[in-house]
Amino acid sequence: MSDITDRPDTADAEELREWLRGCVAEYVRRPAEDIDTDLPLSEYGLDSVYVLSLCADIEDRYGIEVEPTLLWDHPAIGPLADALTPLLAGR
Amino acid sequence: MTLVDPADSASTAPHTDAIDRLEALFGDAGDPASPVGRDAVLAADTHGTMLSAGEDLLDAFGLNAHFVPQALGGRFTGPQELIGVMRAVYRRDPCLGLGYGAGSFMAAVNVWTSGSTEQRTWLAAHLLSEGRVACAYHELAHGNDFARAELTALPGPDGRLRINGRKEVVANLDRAGAMVLFARTNGAPGSRSHSQLLLEPDRLPPGSVTRLPRFGTVGMRGVPLGGIEFTDCPVPADAVVGTSGHGLETAQRSFQLTRIALPGMSVGLLDTALRTALRGALGRRLYGCTAADLSLSRTVLAEAFADLLLADAFITVAARAAHTATGQCTVYASAVKLLVPALLMAAVHRLSELLGSQFYLRAGEQPLFQKLQRDVLPSAFGHASRVSCQSALLPQLPLTARRTWSADDGPVLPTATFRPAEPLPPLDFGSLALTAGGRDPLSRSLLQGADRRTGEDEAIAARASEYAAEVRSLAAAAACLTPDQLGPGAPPHAFDLTTRWAGVHAAAACLGLWWERPSGGQGLGNDPAWVLAALHRLGAHTGRHHDPLPEPLTGVLCTELLRRHDAGLTFDHACRPTGA
Amino acid sequence: MTAVVPEWPAGLPAVLADAMTAAAATGGPFGVSRSAALDAAEAFPEQECALLDACGLPRAYVPARLGGVPGGLPELLHALREVARRDVTVAVAHGKTFLGAVSTWVAGTEQQQRALARLLLDENAVVAWGLTERGIGSDLLAGSLTAVRGPDREWRLTGEKWPINNATRGRLISVLARTDPAGGPRGFSLFLVDKSTLAEGTWQPLPKEPTHGIRGADISGLRLSDAPIPADALIGKVGDGLGTVLRALQLTRTVCAALSLGAGEHALRLAHEFAAERALYDTRLLLLPLARRVLGRAAASLALADAAALLGARCAHGLTGEMSAVSAAVKAGVPWIVQQTIDDLAELLGARGFLTAHHADGMFQKLERDHRIVAVFDGSTAVNRSLLISQFPLLAKLIRTGTYDAAGLAATTGETPLPELEPAALRLVSRTGCSVVQAVPEAAARIAALAGAGSVPPRAAALAVLLSEQTVALARDMAELPPSARNAPAAAFAVARRFEACFAGAAALHLLVAPGGTESAVALTAALERCMELLVPGHRPPSDAYEPLVPPLARPVEEPVR
Repeated sequence: MSDITDRPDTADAEELREWLRGCVAEYVRRPAEDIDTDLPLSEYGLDSVYVLSLCADIEDRYGIEVEPTLLWDHPAIGPLADALTPLLAGR
Repeated sequence: MTLVDPADSASTAPHTDAIDRLEALFGDAGDPASPVGRDAVLAADTHGTMLSAGEDLLDAFGLNAHFVPQALGGRFTGPQELIGVMRAVYRRDPCLGLGYGAGSFMAAVNVWTSGSTEQRTWLAAHLLSEGRVACAYHELAHGNDFARAELTALPGPDGRLRINGRKEVVANLDRAGAMVLFARTNGAPGSRSHSQLLLEPDRLPPGSVTRLPRFGTVGMRGVPLGGIEFTDCPVPADAVVGTSGHGLETAQRSFQLTRIALPGMSVGLLDTALRTALRGALGRRLYGCTAADLSLSRTVLAEAFADLLLADAFITVAARAAHTATGQCTVYASAVKLLVPALLMAAVHRLSELLGSQFYLRAGEQPLFQKLQRDVLPSAFGHASRVSCQSALLPQLPLTARRTWSADDGPVLPTATFRPAEPLPPLDFGSLALTAGGRDPLSRSLLQGADRRTGEDEAIAARASEYAAEVRSLAAAAACLTPDQLGPGAPPHAFDLTTRWAGVHAAAACLGLWWERPSGGQGLGNDPAWVLAALHRLGAHTGRHHDPLPEPLTGVLCTELLRRHDAGLTFDHACRPTGA
Repeated sequence: MTAVVPEWPAGLPAVLADAMTAAAATGGPFGVSRSAALDAAEAFPEQECALLDACGLPRAYVPARLGGVPGGLPELLHALREVARRDVTVAVAHGKTFLGAVSTWVAGTEQQQRALARLLLDENAVVAWGLTERGIGSDLLAGSLTAVRGPDREWRLTGEKWPINNATRGRLISVLARTDPAGGPRGFSLFLVDKSTLAEGTWQPLPKEPTHGIRGADISGLRLSDAPIPADALIGKVGDGLGTVLRALQLTRTVCAALSLGAGEHALRLAHEFAAERALYDTRLLLLPLARRVLGRAAASLALADAAALLGARCAHGLTGEMSAVSAAVKAGVPWIVQQTIDDLAELLGARGFLTAHHADGMFQKLERDHRIVAVFDGSTAVNRSLLISQFPLLAKLIRTGTYDAAGLAATTGETPLPELEPAALRLVSRTGCSVVQAVPEAAARIAALAGAGSVPPRAAALAVLLSEQTVALARDMAELPPSARNAPAAAFAVARRFEACFAGAAALHLLVAPGGTESAVALTAALERCMELLVPGHRPPSDAYEPLVPPLARPVEEPVR
């Protein structure tokens, strides 16, 4: 998992999207290119409880606090990245 | 599923035919119309009665013949074949196994071992005409501690014996036409004060015998576990089995066979528990797949399968060693009874996790499971508890260290012991001994094999070396035991050594079967995976590690498990058709 | 067993204990033969529940600020354990009301909370919790009971909840219903349904299910057919149902430990009585070293489970945001530890534990069957271990860095006053990991100092060092596991089990360093020893490790035993 030391200073939506994709790929043990950013994460077997743990990864990497339910409201990578971008800009 | 038609089956060993014939009579357990199917078995349990259609079926099959030695007109040749047949009964219904059969066999071995010719002939005829024998040993106040049995049979003024006292929680007391009664025949303390009496309950004077009501039990609810109370009941002195006062010796010698056979039969219970849990897991959808697809479930299933293979391997070798090392059978029987029941119980409990809340519902999708979970309980304390087996082994450890383990070499078990398809020398009841005299040829087979077979499968060779080292470590620890550490008041760490000893025997059995496997064989028996998995589970059961069964062993076992499930084959090494 | 410090709140539990003992002594509720007869007849323990109502047990289900007991979750846990040590079935039957009510404390409006508190306190209303449905197990998002909002803002509920404890007896039932046909984590909402207000023909109880244990309990179900539910029955916002339930579960799962603690104590009591009375080899079973180890180890296991449960319940107040980890560790770990204990004691009892009437009214076999439900309901052991596994990356990191919520931990361990439970502070995922475990090295250092001063046994300090090493190894193994979704490998579950053991051991450690903890040093040291046995294969406790926990024979063996 990512450590605090490699926290990026800036984050654009594309970088965020790719990083999330990598995380999900790692969780479901599939190549990142197989992960469609518009498909709900539940399609990959990441159910409502498991997406909660993604939250901690996001918090660690970007040093922000994320409501765990953000992933329920934005259950695919694309929309999630869109929702996260303004939060990151406001750091 | 297709069952082998007995008429068409190739002529193999005679007991194999018998098992196929029995399975064919039982038919498909899942058939709701079957009088001996799962629904009927459950209904009998609910009513607390024996499955009467099952008893009729076993009468027709002639099960009792399997309890009677061949020389007396029966089909008993040794524990291995009996286990095979009875396992089929336990797969169908453990109550049927215990209530119809196992109880009679336990009683009968006393008579086969020590009875007079007349007694043996009479009992054989009784059994062969579908009679039952109650094995009346148990008194609640003393459990398996036979030496403290209080029921007395002391000489009266007329030379006949007078029985006073009670026996409790004994199968079939209320309906068996014969009874082997364990009684104190001498008031003096010591080991020469008890005897078995072979009695016909119906011929006892009516006023001197009271039947006690059935003892309610949480499992084996159908088995009539009753009690009997004697008040000055006169019986002829020639009812004594063998030499008067030698009852403890007779029990300790003859029960070696049952200490192997009963756990061997109970493997059938685990077989059906595993089948039931697997069926439940395959039918249960969770998070978009079946429960059987989850990694954790696969591990639980594979572990239970490996547990079963481990138990079966150990029992098979012990049962065959009763022929090839009869004088040492005492040690192997205690080791089996020490290790196997605990292993079976743990496996059944663990499998309940696969069913989730369904296991708790008596009208759920797999209602048989909760019955098996209750029926498995007496395997822990029935006949001989773990502690009584440990107590039997502990005093034999120091001598074994001196006579077997201190030497560089020594006699090993004949290789036929590890080749289940090969013929065995006849079983000589008279050679069953009270102690093994410090000789342990099974552990020598392990030591020799570990030395010689290192070139074979690397992982198996490594396990063999570990267990050889375990023998040496055990020898060192046993050599330190002082005489006051060998009795019932021994410190726990001394008792722990007996568990390690039994672990060595189980490992030796698995490895021996592997080393002596038929060349060019196929199937799981020829795949190192089963040995490695069984030894991994042995390590878990004896506290050597806490790890789950690793891949790729899990994968190999799951594949084989599913194959056997789909094909209707048993999960033991015999891998034979079953309708259970 | 010996009490631990901080001690369990004793107000209501003591009242209950006295009342149950008195009633049983006069052949009334909680008498063992009555308990056995109810179980055999699969009859609901009406009189038992009535007695508990009369003693005010429902006050333990209500937050203090709404008129409940002052001791919060620890007092509730202790009260239910007092019931469970006599009869697990009754504890399950009565305690369910807390499970049904807790969602309202977590997400209800002030008005909803006051109304429910009144029903519980004034009318002893029974509340059920309708989460699961036929064929879905713990997969709550597969639920199909549906709520549709009508033009009048009323809701119409249609579907079944099954199998549900007290579904038939309960006047109220909290129902998780699908409010978005597409489902998903935002597709469910929670309703507190008052059956007494439902129109006839719109609802129907489903028959009682026969069960393996807790046979007297009302395990049944509820069918709703276009049942009109008022708008104010919605608890929380539309779409908040899953989040509310997951947070409520953090409290109920912690409370479930009470059932295990009670069953374990009951088993130990029965086994000890048997061992004291059983004559063999010219002595008593209780005097044989091997039997003493079984009994002592069982007592140590219970002391360990007790520490985990007590600290877990206090965490709900002091480290509320960490309950996602704490509750999973308690719900998986405590029943696991206690089940092993019951199995060991069953072996000691032998045939006695198998009889339904002839020994102690068959109480052992009953509690053994009853207890097996604890690992199944309110989230099975596997479900809770999965929850821990999903939190491994953060937990591993925080154990390694050793950071923890010092203020929260101080309140939890009794160094500072325990605040009232604030359900709003429950979080779906802990942000600060599990401070109880993360602070083990710190606690171990303090134990070393205490041992140096002679206030705790030197063995406690040695065990603290071992536990510290074990948490380091645990963090390493947690971090090394590849992250996994729902389908985690068995190896991950084995690591989760170690986490539970570490949590329990850490709880014992913190209780030992807490003010006054040294008074329980013997029991807590034995608990730590047991923890090491669970964690380290081949761990060999000193031969006298559990000896102090085995009470001696009340009287010496008088009569020569034949």
